[in-house]
Amino acid sequence: MLAINVKKSFHKQHGRLFHLDLSFSVNSGFTVLTGPSGAGKTSLLRMIAGILTPDQGVIELGSTVYFDRERRINIPIQQRNVGFVFQDYALFPHMTATQNIAFGVRTAASADRRAKAEEMLSLFHIEHIADRLPREMSGGEQQRVALARALSCEPRIALLDEPLSAVDIETRGKLLDEIESAQDRAKIPFIYVTHNEAEAARLGTNRIYIRDGLVAAAEIA
Amino acid sequence: MIFEALKLSLLVVSVSTAIVGVVGLGFSYLLAKSSFRGKEFLDAVLTMPLVLPPTVTGYYLIVLLGRRGILGSYIYELTGWSFAFTWEGAVVAAVVVSLPLMIKASRASIESVHPEFETASYTLGKGKLETFLRITLPLARRGIFAGLVLAFARALGEFGATLMIAGNIPGKTQTMPLAIYEAVASGDDHRAQLLALVLTAVSIGAIYLTNKVSRTSFYG
Repeated sequence: MLAINVKKSFHKQHGRLFHLDLSFSVNSGFTVLTGPSGAGKTSLLRMIAGILTPDQGVIELGSTVYFDRERRINIPIQQRNVGFVFQDYALFPHMTATQNIAFGVRTAASADRRAKAEEMLSLFHIEHIADRLPREMSGGEQQRVALARALSCEPRIALLDEPLSAVDIETRGKLLDEIESAQDRAKIPFIYVTHNEAEAARLGTNRIYIRDGLVAAAEIA
Repeated sequence: MIFEALKLSLLVVSVSTAIVGVVGLGFSYLLAKSSFRGKEFLDAVLTMPLVLPPTVTGYYLIVLLGRRGILGSYIYELTGWSFAFTWEGAVVAAVVVSLPLMIKASRASIESVHPEFETASYTLGKGKLETFLRITLPLARRGIFAGLVLAFARALGEFGATLMIAGNIPGKTQTMPLAIYEAVASGDDHRAQLLALVLTAVSIGAIYLTNKVSRTSFYG
């Protein structure tokens, strides 16, 4: 279970002060975050991952406290073990698909990392692009590599920031299938940010609508 | 004599480029990635030798490291040795004048690496040092390499500051540029020509290398 109760104020572009005050808790399965651009969805994902630090509040995943201002707990990004799929994928441009995926595997032996990367490549049906650099891949292929990389470290939670926004409509349906089956295998919470109503309707076991830094509506199963 | 000057130049330049590579990368990372009080002042101090007349840089080096210098007097007291009139003094001069070129190029290229790549590496469990070595450094390598080549070329041509701190002792501190000056001053045109040709060839090579490297890219 993921329990969030955070506050943060920061200056956005044009110097306007923006207040984020979010609180909800969800079980594993899919949780879809929707809402207008700039409402605070990405900031929330970044706080869960430890990239941004809330001013106040608590973030808990199961029995692990990621952040608790009162108790001065703030687990560093590296130790939170989250699988983050960035909006523009952030695949390392100088590494092949295999190298990108192996980079995230948390074992010491390089043979094990490679084996795990190959396993992930076949799970996402992208063995044929194993030795390609990101710039030699299509948008859908990059997306699959990003997903495989995020899940290769066997994370405790997956955070997906508009993962399909840069993919064409035909590919979108197939990728949604793969994301669903990935969640099914991993059995961890998937927090999924999207603007797309069709995606939200299909994945949304839990749906949270964020507007102006607040939870404006929530449907939690 | 030409051979001696060439040998000494190569020694001074390879040692100074190695030092500039390590020190310059450290400063570039600090300037590109962290914010602290006096950061821009530090940048200004490190960049100064780029605009300062080399003889003035050399004068400050004497004030700092000479036998009676601010630091130099302590070194002399402790060891009986001084940077003045040694090849090590020529290395210091080469480092100081070529460091700004390295820092300018590598700071800019480290800053141009999109921070999201580093963030992604952190979420995958990698620490700051590993992220710098495996992500930032390879992505910034063109600028870093260009900075190294420029620093190498600048160190090879160093004259003014070297003359001030290390003097012009044939076989000991007389690098190629100083040897050219002496050859011309003593009317040895043939030797001057030969030395000038060698330095010109190396400079052209340096420009060719930087241009070649700056054309290859990861980003399609």
